[in-house]
Amino acid sequence: MNSIRQDWFSNVRNDLLAGLVVALALIPEAIAFSIIAGVDPKVGLYASFCIATVTAFVGGRPGMISAATGAMALVMVMLVKEHGLQYLLAATVLTGVLQILAGWLRLGALMRFVSRSVVTGFVNALAILIFMAQLPELTGANATWQVYALVAAGLAIIYLFPYLTKVVPSPLVTILVLTGVTLYLGLDVRTVGDMGELPDSLPVFLLPDIPLTFETLQIIFPVSATLAVVGLLESLMTATIVDDLTDSSSNKNRECVGQGVANVATGFLGGMAGCAMIGQSVINVKSGGRGRLSTLTAGVCLLLMVVFAGEWVAQIPMAALVAVMIMVSIGTFNWASIRNLREHPLGANVVMISTVAVVVATHDLAQGVLVGVLLSGFFFAHKVGQVLAVSSITLEQGRTRAYLVTGQVFFASADRFVAAFDFKEVIERVRIDVSRAHFWDITAVSALDKVVIKFRREGAEVEVIGLDAASATLIDKFGVHDKPDATARLTDH
Amino acid sequence: MHDEDKILACVDRSHFAETVTDAATWAARRLSAPLELLHILDRHPEIGSGKDHSGAIGFNAQQALLTELAEEDAARSKAAREQGRIFLNQLRERAIAAGAVAPDVRQRHGDLEETLVGQQSSVRLFVLGRRGESAETTQRDLGRNVERVVRALKKPILAVTEQFQEPRRVLIAFDGGGMARRGVELVARSPLFQGLPIHVLMSGKATRDGARQLEWARTTLEKAGLAASAALLPGDAERVIAGAVHEQEFDLLIMGAYSHSPIRTLLFGSKTSDLLRSARIPTLLLR
Repeated sequence: MNSIRQDWFSNVRNDLLAGLVVALALIPEAIAFSIIAGVDPKVGLYASFCIATVTAFVGGRPGMISAATGAMALVMVMLVKEHGLQYLLAATVLTGVLQILAGWLRLGALMRFVSRSVVTGFVNALAILIFMAQLPELTGANATWQVYALVAAGLAIIYLFPYLTKVVPSPLVTILVLTGVTLYLGLDVRTVGDMGELPDSLPVFLLPDIPLTFETLQIIFPVSATLAVVGLLESLMTATIVDDLTDSSSNKNRECVGQGVANVATGFLGGMAGCAMIGQSVINVKSGGRGRLSTLTAGVCLLLMVVFAGEWVAQIPMAALVAVMIMVSIGTFNWASIRNLREHPLGANVVMISTVAVVVATHDLAQGVLVGVLLSGFFFAHKVGQVLAVSSITLEQGRTRAYLVTGQVFFASADRFVAAFDFKEVIERVRIDVSRAHFWDITAVSALDKVVIKFRREGAEVEVIGLDAASATLIDKFGVHDKPDATARLTDH
Repeated sequence: MHDEDKILACVDRSHFAETVTDAATWAARRLSAPLELLHILDRHPEIGSGKDHSGAIGFNAQQALLTELAEEDAARSKAAREQGRIFLNQLRERAIAAGAVAPDVRQRHGDLEETLVGQQSSVRLFVLGRRGESAETTQRDLGRNVERVVRALKKPILAVTEQFQEPRRVLIAFDGGGMARRGVELVARSPLFQGLPIHVLMSGKATRDGARQLEWARTTLEKAGLAASAALLPGDAERVIAGAVHEQEFDLLIMGAYSHSPIRTLLFGSKTSDLLRSARIPTLLLR
């Protein structure tokens, strides 16, 4: 009872106002992302309404804004082009089901393998993709000098109007002014109405019109799987950002399930798949939104404005939307990361830039993150592989050589481990003390075997000391954190 | 003096703070127990500031917003801490002037209920206002935190009203139940009430069992050397007790509190809450 009151009604006035600000910024985004995906604006607008409304109730992060997003739109382009809207709706439902499963399986915990550099790369790639999606309006036959003038004027209003007053959302002022100017001067520029159908009614429940066959599943499953991964990645990253901004915590697995439920509902209401939005969530928190009411207000206001002011929305010049989207792109990009390139280690930079490069090349954030995570793991293994030292000393008047191994032995350091022994030395006995080393995997154990066999071939007796303790790390469930002597076990044995 | 038995006065910035301090000082003197004044600072991450509705995000929007919000929080915490310290020190002076021996003060971050439950093993008596800071501007007689907090605690709680004067006549609301009987025994044992006239009042129909219970209460108190009297009045408990308080000028009410489950309270209302509302004098709630 208490937490319901806290989540919904502890910040009513700010939540309502922030929700309204967000709704105004969501309209251009939803239209723009529908155009990216190649569907009518109404598909994105219905999706934004439905996802925002559903996540307000079932999401795990109060105050976070979810709707139709660019990251998701880019993944579905080919599906829409080749198979049409109905397959997209089915894929959206399947995406939701996969996300619910991920939530139940508590896969949100896997986010800990996504390093800081990958997150930065993801955010930057997202900003670049949002910007690139605006290029069709700025190049080619549509791009007259009027369009450039309108976009420039729009950006000027967005960034300068807040110096005048912060009571009215400046993206709204931009849209109103540019629409007014276009109508007054009778400019011949593309408007939202030219881009396809707008909603003329409240959304209705409908089943996707597709054959329920294995072939259909083969078509939609790869897209749905990618959508599910991209959606969860962006949602969980956004949830962490909102956690940090508001200094509070959220339930990540509930968020996974919430995103899934929202996508299932969206698919049945004729909307495209979506997820949490970094830019909009930042706008919401900045405007004072904290509770679930802000998300609900954003969704409901969006739908009401679009349905009841549809004729006016159709008159908005695309140039105004481009200006708003450029703002979102600028606000999403992590500009500090460019300055940090000089300070951060090379490995981190390579991970960040590779993530961005792969996403921009493939238009698939999931692939970018996969490359980023693999590279992070690779660099980490390389770095930890350096933590290995082998020293030696002769004993018993040159009859015995004692090797002392300190550090981490695993696949990345096994070759260095073997190379550290002098097999050509003529010696009676070899003693290898591994009690200060950790053997992490099978590669490490076979490397030790190899060393022992090589020495035997040279005719030396080999004695290995402390192997039991060193190989305690071999078993998969190795964990000392819950044992009272954890620190001692990791340093001393 | 050992710390196991302190009197914990929970003060916040409502107009009850001074009467809570006075009542706690009285109890500390009577029980010769250490007194601690506790002020809880709560944070509200669920409430936004909402000054900026421009909806525009520029370069490094997220980092800039994080810095801004963190600085606001830091400034607020520091201000609250400093104000709280001054406020607590004023109350400490007041307690010393009223005869408390070396009262201690403490500020804690956190939720009221959680903090009090965490402290209760070292507390002998809690003293709280009937309404807190959050109810300052409402018309409610009883703050909404009171029932929740009282239910969570297992030690006696003195809930004070706007006025406090050292009690001269004490009334026990007695219903013959287990909790009320334990209450009578506790009153008989406690130095808090030595030398005060105690009146045991039972309401409802006059049954033989009721009379016997009442007689037991009176003799128990008399054996402990207290000037006890007892009466059984017909009628509704709430009205009978409110009437007695008004007519006979009692200035402290003792009763068992919330012995029924929260679900029953939700359905039928709570006798404890009704009594607390109708009796406008400091009330000692026994758990």
